[in-house]
Amino acid sequence: MRLPVNSGWLLVLPFLLLVGGLFLGPILNVLWISVTDPALGLENYAQLGSSDTLRRILWTTLRVCLICTAFSVVLGYWIAYAMVHAKGPAQSRMLGLLLVSFWISVLVRTFSWLMLLGRNGVVNSGLESLGIISAPIPFMRNELGVLIGMVHYMVPYAVLPIFAAMQSIDGRVVQASRSLGGSGAQTFWRIYLPLTKPGLVAASLLVFIINLGFYVIPAVLGGGKVLMVAEYISVQVLVTLQWGTAAMLAAILLFGVLALMFLMSRFMKLSTVFGGART
Amino acid sequence: MHDKNFMRETLLQGAQAFQAGKMERRSFLALCGMAGFASASVLAGRAEAAAAEIVMWNWGGQSEECHQSAIGAAFTKDTGIPLKFDTSGPLQGKIKEMVDSGHVTADVCDADLFDAVALGKTGHLEALDYSVIDKTKTVDGYALEFGISIILYGYAFMYDTQAYPDGPPTSWADFFDTAKFPGTRSLYKWANGSLEAALMADGVEKDKLYPLDIDRAIKKITAIKADTIYWGSGSEAHDMIVNGEVTMGMVWQNRGRSIETDTNGRFKLVMNQALAMPGAYIVPKGNPGGADVMKFIATAQSVPAQLDLFACLGMTPTNPEAIAQMAEVDQPYSITSAANMPLVALNDPTWWGENTDAAVNAFLAAIS
Repeated sequence: MRLPVNSGWLLVLPFLLLVGGLFLGPILNVLWISVTDPALGLENYAQLGSSDTLRRILWTTLRVCLICTAFSVVLGYWIAYAMVHAKGPAQSRMLGLLLVSFWISVLVRTFSWLMLLGRNGVVNSGLESLGIISAPIPFMRNELGVLIGMVHYMVPYAVLPIFAAMQSIDGRVVQASRSLGGSGAQTFWRIYLPLTKPGLVAASLLVFIINLGFYVIPAVLGGGKVLMVAEYISVQVLVTLQWGTAAMLAAILLFGVLALMFLMSRFMKLSTVFGGART
Repeated sequence: MHDKNFMRETLLQGAQAFQAGKMERRSFLALCGMAGFASASVLAGRAEAAAAEIVMWNWGGQSEECHQSAIGAAFTKDTGIPLKFDTSGPLQGKIKEMVDSGHVTADVCDADLFDAVALGKTGHLEALDYSVIDKTKTVDGYALEFGISIILYGYAFMYDTQAYPDGPPTSWADFFDTAKFPGTRSLYKWANGSLEAALMADGVEKDKLYPLDIDRAIKKITAIKADTIYWGSGSEAHDMIVNGEVTMGMVWQNRGRSIETDTNGRFKLVMNQALAMPGAYIVPKGNPGGADVMKFIATAQSVPAQLDLFACLGMTPTNPEAIAQMAEVDQPYSITSAANMPLVALNDPTWWGENTDAAVNAFLAAIS
């Protein structure tokens, strides 16, 4: 008997149900709360227009995420480039180091940064004892601290997609460019960089989206002064019980990410970004 | 803690899907395995079925051992009912979610008395049975319909003796005076205690704090914002002080003694104008253990339990009999001692229960 649909769907069905039950259900619930708590209507969304605090928190989040994404992707590109051009065992060692740092818990990293760059941390006390500075440099408990912590966390996420894109480049196109008289710089800017664009876009998207939900690093390294949207949502859910506001902000994040992906899809095929079949 | 909560929530959703028949038993067990939570969730399942245990929802760490030895042991001896723990932290939002979802797995929450006011009003708590629990074994005014204060904790500040060798700070007015006492300070970032401290610094009498003048407090707090960092947990407050990030820092008063001891007295606790906070036991609506939880709360009021909690966690007793039996050396660190009681301000749980959202959001808007 011939099934009306491709039998492959049957294999995928359990996973679709799992995603439907565990993922879509709660998301729909959040969207529902955002328009029903405390009363039916768009009041929660209207707060965006009336509340300076909400706008400031969203702006802080956006600003920190954009800066962090830029630094992570540039550093990630650099590291991936070095990795791709390293020889066999050296490359595995580099990949190993990258993965180790990928696996270190966010709390361990956060407190390590405090020990290194805190007011009486290793760096400040070292510089002071050398007489280079007279007062400690405020690296931590401010926006700079948050950025340092976040970039450090996100660099491995940026490296992996870029590394994958670089590995798939046919080395002969670079040789072809050089043999046709292109300089090293020209070859990089006009051949190599455009070929790694899908990797760059994937890395930027991935880093930016993960950044939007950062909680622990801004909460601790920001010293309470860098309030990002994830922490604010958590306070509204757990402490002030304003679930409508929290759900509204969560919905804004969700739609923001979807809009971003839509924009990206206008410029390139998302399937290539996420490693799908190339057409 | 965040990861643990995430796992817990993933599992809860998994468990709900499993119960609703949306998920196979095998997939659910696999999920449990992946989350490394098999035993915990199986235990939680049993807690729902059997009324023969009392589950205390608290903040874990040392407080789990201390509650077990100070209250659990005596309670189990008297009733045969074991005491178990859920250590994920009973914040208001989580209690509300648990009761609303209909899967109540905790019997008693180690919470604040203002939680009793806020959640009692919305029908998320069981009323206490004052034929079992003794209203007189707590501080005046701290035995409410939906919660009773078992211990007091507090907001006080500590200072670095090396930073202020000639004349240490002695009041919140000094704490907020950055000209006379230069250096970075730390305050609690969820408003509690910080607002009261600012008002006392601005000259409000300690027994005329409520209703809090939020705008006045915020003005005082923003005036020293450039010299202030804010903490969200007790350990963070502790680290800020002992790592020298601040020269004066607000702390939970019960931690002050161990910081003094650990640093050989370099950092000193100031009890003057400390804000006493009623830590309270509250019972989520429809708790699995039923009425037996009232006996547990009564056990927590007993003199030995109160003194053990003080010895173990530094939390001040509320039962007058226990207060009377405090050792001389412990009295400076007890909020309710004869010497400290005239110095401290008492938190008004009713004001906080009704105004938490406005106060916390105004504070967050000001510091961020």
